[in-house]
Formats: sequence, structure tokens, C-alpha cells
Amino acid sequence: MSHPPRTSSRRSSRTGSRGQVTPPPSSSSVDSFLTARINLGKVFRADSPDFFLLLGLTIVLTIMGLLMVLSASSVDSFLQNGQFFGAFGRQAAFAAIGLPVMMVLSQLPLVFWRKWALAILVIGSIAQLLVFTPLGYESGGNRNWINIAGFTAQPSEFLKLAIVIWLGVALPVSIRRNGAANWKVLLTLVPALIPIGLVLLGGDLGTVIIMGMITIGAIFFAGVKLRIILIPVALGAAMVGVMAVTSPNRMARIFSFLSENCIDYTNSCWQPLHGKWALAGGGIFGVGLGNSKAKWSWLPAADNDYIFAIIGEELGLIGAALVLVLFVLLAVAFTRIIKKANDPMVRIVTGGIMVWIVGQAFVNIGVVLGVFPVLGVPLPLLSSGGTALIASLLAIGVVLSFTRAPSTFK
Amino acid sequence: MNTKQTRRRTVVSMLLIVVFVALFMVKLVDIQIVQASAFNEESLGKRSIPATIYSERGKIVDANGIILADSVMRYNVTISPKNTKDFLRVTDRADVTITPQQAAVEIGNITGQKPEEILKIVADALAANPLSDFAYVVKGVDVDKFRALNALGIPWLYSEPSPGRSYPNGSVAGNLLGYVGQDGLAQAGIELTSNECLAGVNGEENYQRGADGVRIPGSTVTSVQSQDGSSIKLTIDSDLQWFTQQVLAKQVDATGAKWGTVVVQEVKTGKLLAVADYPTVDPNNVGGTAEANRGSLAFMAPFEPGSTIKALTAASLLDAGLAEPNSQVLAPYSIEFPNGAKVHDASMHGVLQLTLTGVLEQSSNVGITQLGEVLSAEKRYDYLSKFGFGATTAVGFQAESTGILHPWQEWDNQTYYNTMFGQGLATTAIQVASAYQALGNHGVRLPVQLVEGCVAPDGTLTPTKLPAPTQVVSDAAATTTVNMLENFVTKGWISKYISIPGYRIAAKTGTAEQSAGDGTYSNSYIVSNAALIPANDPQYVVTVTIASPASNGSMASPPVLKAVMAQVLKKYRVEPSPDGAPDLPIRF
Repeated sequence: MSHPPRTSSRRSSRTGSRGQVTPPPSSSSVDSFLTARINLGKVFRADSPDFFLLLGLTIVLTIMGLLMVLSASSVDSFLQNGQFFGAFGRQAAFAAIGLPVMMVLSQLPLVFWRKWALAILVIGSIAQLLVFTPLGYESGGNRNWINIAGFTAQPSEFLKLAIVIWLGVALPVSIRRNGAANWKVLLTLVPALIPIGLVLLGGDLGTVIIMGMITIGAIFFAGVKLRIILIPVALGAAMVGVMAVTSPNRMARIFSFLSENCIDYTNSCWQPLHGKWALAGGGIFGVGLGNSKAKWSWLPAADNDYIFAIIGEELGLIGAALVLVLFVLLAVAFTRIIKKANDPMVRIVTGGIMVWIVGQAFVNIGVVLGVFPVLGVPLPLLSSGGTALIASLLAIGVVLSFTRAPSTFK
Repeated sequence: MNTKQTRRRTVVSMLLIVVFVALFMVKLVDIQIVQASAFNEESLGKRSIPATIYSERGKIVDANGIILADSVMRYNVTISPKNTKDFLRVTDRADVTITPQQAAVEIGNITGQKPEEILKIVADALAANPLSDFAYVVKGVDVDKFRALNALGIPWLYSEPSPGRSYPNGSVAGNLLGYVGQDGLAQAGIELTSNECLAGVNGEENYQRGADGVRIPGSTVTSVQSQDGSSIKLTIDSDLQWFTQQVLAKQVDATGAKWGTVVVQEVKTGKLLAVADYPTVDPNNVGGTAEANRGSLAFMAPFEPGSTIKALTAASLLDAGLAEPNSQVLAPYSIEFPNGAKVHDASMHGVLQLTLTGVLEQSSNVGITQLGEVLSAEKRYDYLSKFGFGATTAVGFQAESTGILHPWQEWDNQTYYNTMFGQGLATTAIQVASAYQALGNHGVRLPVQLVEGCVAPDGTLTPTKLPAPTQVVSDAAATTTVNMLENFVTKGWISKYISIPGYRIAAKTGTAEQSAGDGTYSNSYIVSNAALIPANDPQYVVTVTIASPASNGSMASPPVLKAVMAQVLKKYRVEPSPDGAPDLPIRF
């Protein structure tokens, strides 16, 4: 070996992390020297390939998001406050906060999440309650925002993380007690349903659907029997149906989705149609970064819910496919972690977060492509929106921390 | 949960992802490739705006490249009468409601209109059509006014670009240049006759707009490239043109004349160096000049030239070998020819014993008709035709007159004689200049040239196509005639008015009765001079024509002739004549 210290570092890292008692080193001075090196090596321990795959994908997506937010928001941003970099500056600031915090979370041990899961859920729910106080305000028909001293935030984004961590802690316990085929495991979901109910009260059906998907994903990866999972799936679908039918706005969106040719050009059709036109304008190779036409006040939420359309327009089919590939790779990274996990909590939380990040991305892309009716959910990591970006990064930070806790792996 | 179950469920989730990705890829390919052109057509229908790319009309420059006519962008201010209502103006201090009356005052302050005028435009448009969405407020405002109007932020006020024309030298050569209408179409003068060279071809483009109407950068697609027009280079020297116009204007006003022209032509090339007309027109303000005076009278106004033609009759006789400078004639005041035609001289005198030179010096009608009679009418007609009468010059100026030269067969007994001393035919000032150019150029008449050529945007000059020169009379006949005309300047009454020390000058005057339009002659005269300088080697023809001077009579034009000749000699640094004028006998 040309680099003995590195070799021993790797070896000792493995042994050290398993908590095994290291055999007392031989009394030779060389061995003492090596021991000293081993201790240093613990700090600069090499992380697993999954860690780097997930981290790399996250950084690539975040940077791509910043780039596309800059392009998509510049015109609207200028029209609003005369600055082309307004929305981009905010997004960049949130990325600058989110990425380091993600790295910090990735260093936390598993016990930390176990210990704080309930507290996080309670704090998240209380934050969500603030939406209904004078601190909260309505945007786009949904009362889902709070404004504290000029800083706006969407507590529901953090609530997604709180729910998934809490389910990761509570579900294994319940399954151990009741068995994976018992409907009683579903009772564990009740504390998670309370914050979902709060979001529903605010009227943000899109977020509720994502939260529902996260919950289903959690029990799916918890190993609950499929026939038991069908119960909340059916109930959830029924509830979404009722919510849709009782809202004229939602019905209009659904009808416009179902109708072959757009009738109401100026209202319900406007956004999907201009999204489609943007994509069509891009063709295979795109019109080039910054050259979008749709962003010139045509496409509402161009930097947000419809950023995928701008990506498709500026970077073409190639760019749009690249985004799909990045999310598939993200799913691959999550799946590798799930498969290797020893601890059911890792599987549940990682599974839930995978449904969150990848599932929400697919819902968003599906909406832009006209596969789903307009749901109003942003594209994780890419869309403009500080709270959503930080919450997504924190979630990925949690998953990263799992990869660094090898005791959870088989 | 065991490993197998975990593996199964991750496989299921990955399969689900693959299914969705496949679905998305199908949709993407469908939207971005398969249906892309149909979608693009729809979106362009909403976003794309056609627009005209205005081409620039070419410049008109003088012989030295001084710009006489240039293109500028002007704006027509338009209004939407049906929307002419109160609007809210957002200012830093407060939001102010502006009424149409207030807005009209603001517009009027910029355009120079009265507020009532503007409100009347609105009212008239609405009276004609209550839903009227378009009316002109004012046409052709310049960029400064256009910007000021834009800054008012009046939502129902619009503008459209309208390429305009600017004449930076004002009325210098204004009568030659002509003008361009508000619609950008040439109306008169060189602008019109050289339109093919000057006019550009407008292009077409399409651009895409934002939902708020903003023109999206980089979205412009040019479907038809615009082509700028070429420039016209004149033979005119704008400095000399200015000088001749000044001198002429002063004298026409001083003598109370109706109009006047000055022509300066280069003998060796046929190029016109100055063509002054008075009254002049400033093409920037065409309306300021009466319609009849907007063109170039030098080209357009035929008149009976009178005695200047005698020199041409003499040259014809010399060329035909039927006379020489010393040919003798007895010239009484008046004479009646066998055919009944009566000819008399301008002023009473006894019987004079004149040579041909003396006939020109005395400008004797009786003398020239007796000497010229030996040349048949047909021959004289041929000579006059070759001197350029009865046809337009090679310039082809807009509405240029051919003058009047009836075929010799139609000449009556009186005209048979009158044509010899410049009555019974009509010429333009340019034609007279051209005929004298032939005398100065060894008998060769060169095509008159006003336009040097068409200068393409890349700088290449396409010279004006010119017809072949005409040998009118022999070199000897021409030169001898010039010598005889010198004797008029050295010995005749005009000597003290136009002589310039050091230079030999050949000149002839003409004072002709003008037709009253009913076959008789009126009391008004047109006085004219034609001169060749320097007579030893003629370089320049100068003609001066002044119509109906109220005072001075024949003395109206010589001061102008002298001033112009002096200016030409100075300007072109003509060397003084080395020897004196030949002394030809005028009496026997």
C-alpha cells in the first residue's frame, strides 16, 4: 500500500462506527502513531457513494433551479419592482441558507430524529395554526402563508417533513405491536392527519394531496399490507373528489383539463395553454437559455408552478428530459438507501421523502404536460419559493444523515 | 418487513416511476416535436406582430457632397376619439385625473395647436362615427416632439412612424430639388424624376410581444429585408447656387420683376453648376410658395428669347458659308419684305452700314433678317433644332418645357423672318444656355447635365446616361461667332455694365416682347443675357433672364450677369485672358 494511513483510516472507520471495541493497539510506537491517525480519520471519514449521489443530484438540481428561476422570473420581477434579479436574489439567498443547513442536518445521528419527532410535529402544527391568525394571509385562493416582520413562509412545507419523520418513528412501533396486516396500524396516522386537516382548512388541496401521498408512501415502505393501505387510499381519493366537486374553481380547472379544445381561453385555459405553447416553442434543442417568449407576461407562475414549461422552452426536449432523468436518478438514490436500510425508520422516512420530492415533481410535470389538471404544486428544488426549497433541502439533509449512520445498514 | 418485501416494494415504486417517465416522454415528444408546429402557429397568432421596416430614402447632394436633401424619421400623432376620456395620471406626489381638455392643452403646447383644434378633431371624428378609434392629430412631428408627447403618458394618444424629408440648406436649389409629400412619396423636381434611384424598398418583419405589449428582445424575424435608396449627386455647386439665387432675388425685387432665372453651365462638359429661380421655394415649407413657382422656371417657363438668337442665326450663316463677319448690309430702321412681312428695329435710327458683326453689336433685326434670308427656312429650322430648340434637354426635368419651335412648313410670312431674331419661337433659359454652350465648345452641343449620377449605398456611382453630343456648327463658325459677340461687349452699349477687367467676355442681350396670349404682343418684356467666359477659351455659359421688370428694362439683367460672371471667375480661379478681344469691323 502506498498510503497506509488512508487504508487504516478506512478500516478503523468501519470498526469504529460499528461500536466494537477496538483491540488495544500493540505497544509499538508505529501503532500508536497509526491510532492517532485513526482518530483524525473519524472526523474526515469518507461517506458512502449514496451520500455523494444524493448530495450531487441535490446540488445540481438546486443550481439548475437557480438558473431557471433567474431566467423565468427576470421579466416579471422587473415589472414588479424594476429589478431583474429580485426573485433570483431571494431564491439564491434561500439556497445559500438551505444548503449549509442541509449539510448540518446530514451530520445528525438517527437518535436525534427519534427523540424530536413528536416535538417537530407539534411545532409544525402550531406554525400551521398561525396561518389562521392575523399573521397568516391568503395567496391564490389558499390561506397557507404567514408573514412575520416582512418574511413570508409556508409552514405546510416544513409540516411535510415533520409528518414524515413522525411516521418514521411511530409506524415501526405500531407495526411491532399490531402486526403489518392489522388495520390498527392506521391509527398511528391520526396525529399526522391533524396537520393535514389544518392545511386542508386553509384550502390548499394541492399540498394536501402531496401530504396524503407522503403518508401513503410512508406506510407503503413501512411494510404495511397492501389491503390495509387501500383503506386510506380510498378514503383520501374520496375526500379529494368531494373537495373538487364542491369548489367551482376546481371544477373549472378539471373541465378545462378534460375538454379537448380550450373554450375559456382567457381564464382556466390560459395557463395550461401557454405552458404547452412554451414547450412547443422549445422543440428539441430549445430556444436557448434566457430566450423564452412565454416568460414575457404570458405564462403565469413561469418561475414557479410552470418552471418546467420554461425549461422545456429554453432548453428544449433535451433539457426537459434531463430534468426527468435527474429526478429518476434521485429516486434511484433514495431506493438504494431504502434497500440497504436496516432500520425501518430509515426506510419509512426515505420512502416518504422520495414520494415527496419525486412524486411532487411528477405531479408538477404532469400538470404542465397536461396529464393532470392544474393542481398548483411547485417543482421541488427547481421552482422559485424559499420555504419549499429550504424544506426540500432539509428533507434531503435528513436522508443524507441516514447514509452517514452505517449502523442502520445491514 | 423483510428484505424480499422491501426489494419488491422498491421495484414497484421504480416501475411506477418508469411508467410515469415514459408517459411524460411521450407527452413531451408529442408537444415539442409532433404537434409543435401546430402549437407554434397558434401561439404566434397571439404573440406575433407584423411591422414595416422603413427604408431610408437616398440623399440628394451637390457636386461637392453637400447634403441638400436628407431623410429623417417623423411621426404622425394619432388619437382614439372614442377613448378620449378622463384618465388617471400617477405621479410621485398624488394621482391626478386628467380631463381631455387638460390633455388637449398639453398636446397643443407641444404640437403648437390650439386645444380647441384638437378637441374639434375628436368631436368631428365622433360625429362621423361614434365608435371612431382613429384620427390624426398632427402629421410629421419630429423626434423631440414625439418624445415629449410620449412623456405625457396619455393613454388614448398614439403615434405612427412616418419617414420624412429634410432639406438642410433650405431654399438653396429648392426649385430643383422638388419635395416629398407627407406620405413619403415624391411630388416634384429631382425628388420625383430621380425617384427610382432615391426610393428605398421597405422591408417587412415580425416580432413577438409580451402579454403587456412589450416587444420581446430577439424575437424579430425579418421576412423582407429593407433596401435603402441610393443618393443622387447633382452637378450643382451649392455655394454658387446660393450666390446666384441671392443676386437674382435682390435684382428681381429691386426691378419689380415677376420672375427671373440664372443658369451657369460648364462649357466643356455641359454640366449645370447653378440654376437659380426666383421666386424660390423652401422644400421644408412648400406651402409658403405659390404653386406656380414651386418648380424650376429655368426649365419650365418658355419665353420668346429675342436677340440672343441672332448669334445663332449668325453662326448658322457662317457654318453654311453664306456669310462672314464682314458681310455687309444696309440696315434702315424698318423694312418690308416682298412677302409682306414687316420688320423694324428696337429704336429709331437712320440707315446704317453694318457688317454682320455690327448687326450683332447693334442688335439690328432689319440687318439680321436681310443677311439671314439667304439661308432657307428648312435649313434655319434644322440649325435651330440642332441648337436644341423645340425639344427638352437631356436633363428631362419634371414638366420641362420643349419651348415652341413650329416646323418650318408652318411658318407664316412674318415668322419666316421673326425666327431669325428670336421672336415667333419660345425657348427656356436652359435651352438658350445650351445653345451658347455649343458656340463656346467649338460648335459641339453637349447634353445638358443636372444629375451627375446615382450613388449606391456602397458608394459606387452610376453616371447619368447621356445622349451623344451634336456638332451644330463648325468649329470655325462657332469660334468666329464668339469673336463677334466679344465685339458687342467691347463696343456695344453694354460694355460699361458687364466688362470685367482682365477677362474677355462674349455676350448677347435679348429684350423680347411677350405674347399676350391672343396672337398679339403685350407691353411686358423679358430681358435676357447669355454670356461665354472667358471668351478666349470659353469655360462657362451664364444666362440671366428677368421677366417683366417694372423699371430698368434692358438694364435689369446686366448687373446680375456681371455679378455672377465675376463670382464664377473667382470661384473657379479662371486665369485672366492673355490677350485682348479681336477687333472686328462693325461698319463699312
